[in-house]
Amino acid sequence: MEIKSTAMAGTLESSDIQITISSNKSGIQIDLNSDVAKIFGKQIKKVIIESLNALEIKNAKVKAVDQGALDCVIRARTLAAAQRATHTAEEPEWEVF
Amino acid sequence: MGYEQDVKRVNLKNPYYLKKWENLLQKVDIQVSTEVSIDDITCVGVFEADQLIATGSFQENILKYIAVDPTYHDGKLFNLIISTLISTLAQQQIFHIFVFTKPIYQMSFEFVGFKTLVKTDVGVLLETGDTAITDYLATIPRIANQKNCKISAIVMNANPFTLGHRYLVEEASKSSDLVYIFVVKQDVSLFKTTERFHLVQVGVSDLSNVRVVSGDEYMVSYATFPTYFIPDKTNIIRYQTEMDATLFKQKIAKPLHIKTRYLGEEPFSKTTEVYNETLKRILPPEVQVEIIPRLKINTQIISATKVRKAIQQNQIETIKDFLPNSTYNYIRDHLKILQNSIKEGMNIDGN
Repeated sequence: MEIKSTAMAGTLESSDIQITISSNKSGIQIDLNSDVAKIFGKQIKKVIIESLNALEIKNAKVKAVDQGALDCVIRARTLAAAQRATHTAEEPEWEVF
Repeated sequence: MGYEQDVKRVNLKNPYYLKKWENLLQKVDIQVSTEVSIDDITCVGVFEADQLIATGSFQENILKYIAVDPTYHDGKLFNLIISTLISTLAQQQIFHIFVFTKPIYQMSFEFVGFKTLVKTDVGVLLETGDTAITDYLATIPRIANQKNCKISAIVMNANPFTLGHRYLVEEASKSSDLVYIFVVKQDVSLFKTTERFHLVQVGVSDLSNVRVVSGDEYMVSYATFPTYFIPDKTNIIRYQTEMDATLFKQKIAKPLHIKTRYLGEEPFSKTTEVYNETLKRILPPEVQVEIIPRLKINTQIISATKVRKAIQQNQIETIKDFLPNSTYNYIRDHLKILQNSIKEGMNIDGN
């Protein structure tokens, strides 16, 4: 799926993650901001990429500002932002959860 | 703690809330600049009982007046305020956000994803969002072996493009391998940004070593230099020009290998004069500053302000000699629209 416009999901509050997705020429590029990036950075990026793959998004720029979110939260926020960015938020892809 | 996690819209037109807001800002030593109209900012806040304990605002894509009551010492409140502001802006499809703040808050903003653009003694300018200065720089055309060439830059609002601007560009063009003209992007002038950009482009199209590009939000914008657009506020202008000049030096000139910045001499506008002084103080030695005297035609100094006045007074014949044909013809063909815009309150005395 194509990114049609920039979209955001999530907050900056504790245990949440704020995901902003915008278009990118080639590939998935993640800019992660997290206090625990040293320990969990790889895992956070992996969850984001898996979530985008599930929606068949190949090209996207992702800005992730993490406040200690669990994987399920990361997945939920990424999917919400991605569906908004691809203008498919009206038909949630429940099965990819 | 007893506060609700609720962030509410704060109506600053209500004197009751305005007073609370001003008190909180005073507590953290933030001055509300007098030229900011409360109508132009959107303000949110967190209350405990009827006391305002945290607040933040935005004007267009700039965050302002962020304050948390120091007795709460609470990063949660700060994050809550910033989060609310960012989400509110996102609903308006605004994602690229700036904040100008005191150096002590730099870390707090970096912690929530902001990246520092520039830091001076008095303040820090940070940005966040779906685009960044690195994306902007990637769009700027370059030439082969740019590093070892003589690259110059001119930043202009060109409201509108005159023979005075043209003269400045010619002077730079003569002694450079490549000249960048950064056209101010902020759309607050009599001539719209697209019009200004177009007239510059047409006006220099015969000069093969000149590239006309947008200054985007990084040169003389509401983010870097808000009072440029308001006449004569010398005190505030000083630190804002320092911010703008430092950003240009560190983040624009360095990666683009710009070695000279050309300026027009400024006999009229106090704001521009202060700006020129600051550029002379901050840019060298890495970036040289060349000040070119104003071009005179029939002993009259060319100025875009005079052009705008002539439009207002319906005497455009008198300024024909100041303008390249392209600009003159454009004004002649759009005279009514421009005059209406002035009648509707567009300020023509500023820059």
